[in-house]
Amino acid sequence: MIAIRSKGWGWIALGAALFTAVAARLLIGRDPSTGSWMFGVPEQEIISLRFGAVQSGAAAGAALGLSGLLLQALLRNPLASPFILGLSAGAGLGATLAAWLPIAATGTAAVFVGTDALLPGTIGAVGVLSLVFLLGRRSGVLDPLTLVLAGTVVASMCGAITLLVQSMMPSTSRGELWSWFMGQVPELPRSVPWWNTVAILVIVLLAASWRARDLDLASAGDDEAESLGVAVGPLRLGLFVGAGALAATSVALCGPIAFVGFMAPHLARALLGGLHGALVPASAVAGAAILIWSDAIRQGIDFGSGRLPIGVLTALVGGPVFLLMLRSARLRRGDWSC
Amino acid sequence: MLTIRNASFAYSQRRVLHSVTMQIERGRTCLLIGRNGSGKSSLLRLAAGLRAPTAGSVQWCEREISAIAPVLRAKSVAWVAQRSMLAIDVTARDVIELGAEHGAASISADALLEELALEPLAGRRFHELSGGEQQRCIVARALRQHADAGLLVLDEPLANLDPAEVVRVIGALRRRCKRGAVVIAAMHDLALADEWADDVALLDGGSLIAFGPAKRVLEPSVLASAFGCDFGVRSAALAVRLPRGA
Repeated sequence: MIAIRSKGWGWIALGAALFTAVAARLLIGRDPSTGSWMFGVPEQEIISLRFGAVQSGAAAGAALGLSGLLLQALLRNPLASPFILGLSAGAGLGATLAAWLPIAATGTAAVFVGTDALLPGTIGAVGVLSLVFLLGRRSGVLDPLTLVLAGTVVASMCGAITLLVQSMMPSTSRGELWSWFMGQVPELPRSVPWWNTVAILVIVLLAASWRARDLDLASAGDDEAESLGVAVGPLRLGLFVGAGALAATSVALCGPIAFVGFMAPHLARALLGGLHGALVPASAVAGAAILIWSDAIRQGIDFGSGRLPIGVLTALVGGPVFLLMLRSARLRRGDWSC
Repeated sequence: MLTIRNASFAYSQRRVLHSVTMQIERGRTCLLIGRNGSGKSSLLRLAAGLRAPTAGSVQWCEREISAIAPVLRAKSVAWVAQRSMLAIDVTARDVIELGAEHGAASISADALLEELALEPLAGRRFHELSGGEQQRCIVARALRQHADAGLLVLDEPLANLDPAEVVRVIGALRRRCKRGAVVIAAMHDLALADEWADDVALLDGGSLIAFGPAKRVLEPSVLASAFGCDFGVRSAALAVRLPRGA
């Protein structure tokens, strides 16, 4: 991607991306009887459902985008995302256990409902976050490398336990659970989780904007950052808690959606450069635009078994972007640009 | 004044500094020399307050330097790492401006760009600069942060610089010393150390084996005992000549 050096143009491009995403999600639909694309203003009932999806996508996408930026700053690793710390795996395990426990207790097959994942998913994500936080410390200090390794190992263990539990469940109970696993942008977002996401997003956004200059300084490494006046330990703790809370609440709202938290900060950097004063709000806007665009696009993709799950779409797009960046020579040199 | 008294330091169980004692007066430049792994970088970290000694004390203006909060310490103590690991995509000017955030910012970025001949690089991306150009930017960032009469701690600040830039950077550091700053730096070029230093500290195996005026420490017999090889003085040797009084 070519960096746009003018911040004015960068913000215009981001604003346009968000505006067109919202317009696309509100106006693009699919005729259920013919399967053909429909474009235009639908009736009131439909538009309110689509507006609900825009609300959900904006809140969860912004939370994921900002969470990804904070994790990349925390770990000084441009490949970091909310999923590297195992939050999605933790949320998935929580949801699976919540679906399995009633079956194990009563012996009857219950049907998992997506909204059932809200509380256990959050508990699972926060539980994993706490565990990774404890394991990621060396000599009382959070260590970026240990943190990543701890996240990877804990995520693998959660994945294995999830598969084990699911193998013990009757097949009738797995369908809705699987669709939540692949990500859902609810058209009728529950009030409490949506407001939770928005409240946490606003708090973290304000705090990160206030400390944006320290995030720039912290990118120089612990010793250099401290010599430049940053108390590194408290800053890292704040980043960890803020990024974790944002990721957990977005998972509770929309399920685990991969790569939005990875792509959004890179899109923001390509448009606005590397300073966090602009990157903090821009990553949130970019995350919202990416998730709403993805949700709009998937409305028109149906392979005969229902609409393409949004988590699959974001993984199909984000996976190659991730691999391209992994292969990038610049990245290997430590250059964060796209 | 920087005062180091019986300072020892260890990483886990491995002691890397043994009871180092030295004092650097205002307006003086002290260069640390010694073999690889002799403890120069560890001593510089203690001097910058980035690590606390496991025994003894390191004081700046009669205060234990590692006990000063980073945001306060940054106003009078600047540090240049052996290799900067900046992980954001910004311009050279942005890098220099980072020093002003919590630092004293007693000199403008424009003045520093001119002093270190960095104007043509100001708008270029830091990651696209050569190693020497990046090093000058990091030194400029430290000078932007630095207060007059402050402490400058530099770990091999002249690495990757061509001779003209070596002269320019040393000139900038000498001007700070004239205003009362203390400069402490590690380096390997002994001929240049002889030209530049007021005091030289020779480390070997984590111990300070010689400290004093450059002419006294940079003696072939003293150096031979620390480095384990022979030294001699060649009057015809080609070396950078620093301007007098620069």
